[in-house]
Amino acid sequence: MSALNYNPSTYEIPGKNTLNHGVLLNKKDDLKIVELPIPIPEEGEVQIQVKATGICGSDIHLWKYGEIGIFPVTTPQLLGHESAGVVTAVGKGVDTLKVGDRVAVEAGIPCSKCDQCMSGRYHLCPTVIFKSTPPHHGQLAKYITHPARWLYKIPDNVTYEQGALLEPLSVAISAIERVGVKFGRSLLITGAGPIGLIVLAVAKATGISPIMITDVQPSRLEYAKKMGADFVYQVDPKRKDVEIAREIRDIFGGEGAEYSLECTGVESSFRTAIMATKDAGVCCLVGVGKNDQLLPVNNFAMREVDIRGLFRYHHTYPRAIALMASGNLKIDHLITHRFDFKDALKAFDTTADYSTGAIKVQILN
Amino acid sequence: MSLNKQENLSVILNKPLDIVLENRPIPTLGKGDVLVNVKATGICGSDVHYWQHGAIGSFKVEKPMVLGHESAGIIAAVGEGVKNVKVGDRVTLEPGAGCRMCDYCKTGRYNLCPDMVFAATPPYDGTLCNYYRHPADFCYKLPENVSIEEGALIEPLSVGIHAARRGNIQSGHRVFIFGAGPVGLLCAAAAKAAGAGHVTIADLVPSRLAFAKTYYTDSQVLLERSTPGEPNIEFSRRMAQAILKTEEPADVVIDCSGAETCVQMSILLAKNGGCVILVGMGASVQSIPISEVSSREVDIRGIFRYSNTYPTAVRMISSGIVNVKPLITHSYPLKDAVKAFQHVKEGRDGAIKVQIIG
Repeated sequence: MSALNYNPSTYEIPGKNTLNHGVLLNKKDDLKIVELPIPIPEEGEVQIQVKATGICGSDIHLWKYGEIGIFPVTTPQLLGHESAGVVTAVGKGVDTLKVGDRVAVEAGIPCSKCDQCMSGRYHLCPTVIFKSTPPHHGQLAKYITHPARWLYKIPDNVTYEQGALLEPLSVAISAIERVGVKFGRSLLITGAGPIGLIVLAVAKATGISPIMITDVQPSRLEYAKKMGADFVYQVDPKRKDVEIAREIRDIFGGEGAEYSLECTGVESSFRTAIMATKDAGVCCLVGVGKNDQLLPVNNFAMREVDIRGLFRYHHTYPRAIALMASGNLKIDHLITHRFDFKDALKAFDTTADYSTGAIKVQILN
Repeated sequence: MSLNKQENLSVILNKPLDIVLENRPIPTLGKGDVLVNVKATGICGSDVHYWQHGAIGSFKVEKPMVLGHESAGIIAAVGEGVKNVKVGDRVTLEPGAGCRMCDYCKTGRYNLCPDMVFAATPPYDGTLCNYYRHPADFCYKLPENVSIEEGALIEPLSVGIHAARRGNIQSGHRVFIFGAGPVGLLCAAAAKAAGAGHVTIADLVPSRLAFAKTYYTDSQVLLERSTPGEPNIEFSRRMAQAILKTEEPADVVIDCSGAETCVQMSILLAKNGGCVILVGMGASVQSIPISEVSSREVDIRGIFRYSNTYPTAVRMISSGIVNVKPLITHSYPLKDAVKAFQHVKEGRDGAIKVQIIG
């Protein structure tokens, strides 16, 4: 299907007869499109007609497992947190946005008052409301409300689809910053899913070299090769992580990668990434997996390989928008499937089914 | 000063559980070397471990090896080209010399040099002898007001300094330390020197905590052992919750035990965005609460010995920022080395740092 709603002026301000629909997860394995009331923006909020929403691995996980990380699904909730749309109504006190403004949505709403928020690390706010993390509703509806403060205007040359890519792009930017890799330094990315591939794209755009990306699926690796990965490595899950790590280290010249970003959440992949990182390097876990994992502690401790976790992102949207608007980061091709809102359930099926070759699936309105 | 060429009594580990005292030849000096008349050497848990088990991780004792690496002494002779010390100078020895040429050495991470020569790590001989050859650039002069015995504590103090730096401890930080042995105590000292506002130390042994109360810590926590059959992670969560009733989450948690439960608790006790520094060496594979590492961005950093700490440590002791004298609890002459090792192994009579004085 063709890219919809490129035209910045196409939006519908809800009237008396306008219906709102959302993609609701009742509980594990029970996903439906339901009718919802049109939400009215409160003070400081705006109403948005959501034009594009990407589906994330966490949405699929919530659907299939009824939980993600340390958050179980406790009440029916909307999914989705990778959205862009257009402002259709403004609440009291909002003077930064007006009806018709095209915006990207930052899904996390922190308290802005605690120590973490006041020191700029609002992603670690203990009371943050992140849309679609249980028990909070996500953004997969035709109309939502959101605090104006956590919306960012997107320029006319950034499509809604690109606007919806800003969220995973934010994860990639955060990951690269958190692990500390810079131009001229080597990087190992484990996992060539949407996150791993966007990390690859950002790494290429910032002079990081050489870059290796690993995956179990050869088709993903071919894709990564076309995107300019210097090395690709197909992981055989039946082999020992120690042996895989050794082979990866050899490809990097014997000592391994200076930095590694683990983008699968799979325990054996994390162990491999750690062991394939050079002494004094850094391994950052991006993927979300088991809550407790067996790690080779002496290996990383005695080689002073630092282990860092990553939780979402902070202060990334303005840069992500600039990167997208510059045209230097071409990641539209990662959107492999698009579905109209009425076919949202098919969109979820497509995302969950590896055989479709889906990378990023978006639901358009 | 003339050297008695017959007398270089050395404490040698022949094989596990077999320490002998033997005369070894006095080493000849190459360019850049000095000969140190070793006067004081502290005994480390690693020395005891080699004695008892013959190996630490992949380092195995394959031939007789002189023990000891926490030493200070007096320069007895200098080799060609040595400019930083002269005969008669009192010095502390940094036991590990890097190659000075690889990337790690050039970027200051020389503790990770693949060609590191470290005293008393197989196959290299240690410092528990009368006369020890060492590169001059790894010997540091002791000021008048720093004794040789204090000089011999600079090695473990360096571990504390390196841990504090790796943890990036800053003014006002809350620091939590597992293990109130000499290393944990010196981590507390370094944390305070770095400006920590509150240092909590935890241990299983009440007498250790009683001493720790007098030494650079603000609160002490008595740990329990897990109940038989209780999975480590359940014990750790239970114990961490109990600790958090009286202690606030920490900016930096330093584990000096190596125990899996303490590593797990360290992560649970760290603030969001805090870090855990692993000093203690334990099992090679451990179960880690990754959900905490990810969702609260708690970093985990190990240390391997130390680098660039000796000049700092000398100044810290000389200026009185840290007093290491209270940690020296027992001394033995070189000829009673085996008794000294036995004492450390038994940990009796409130032993903290046992030194061998030559």
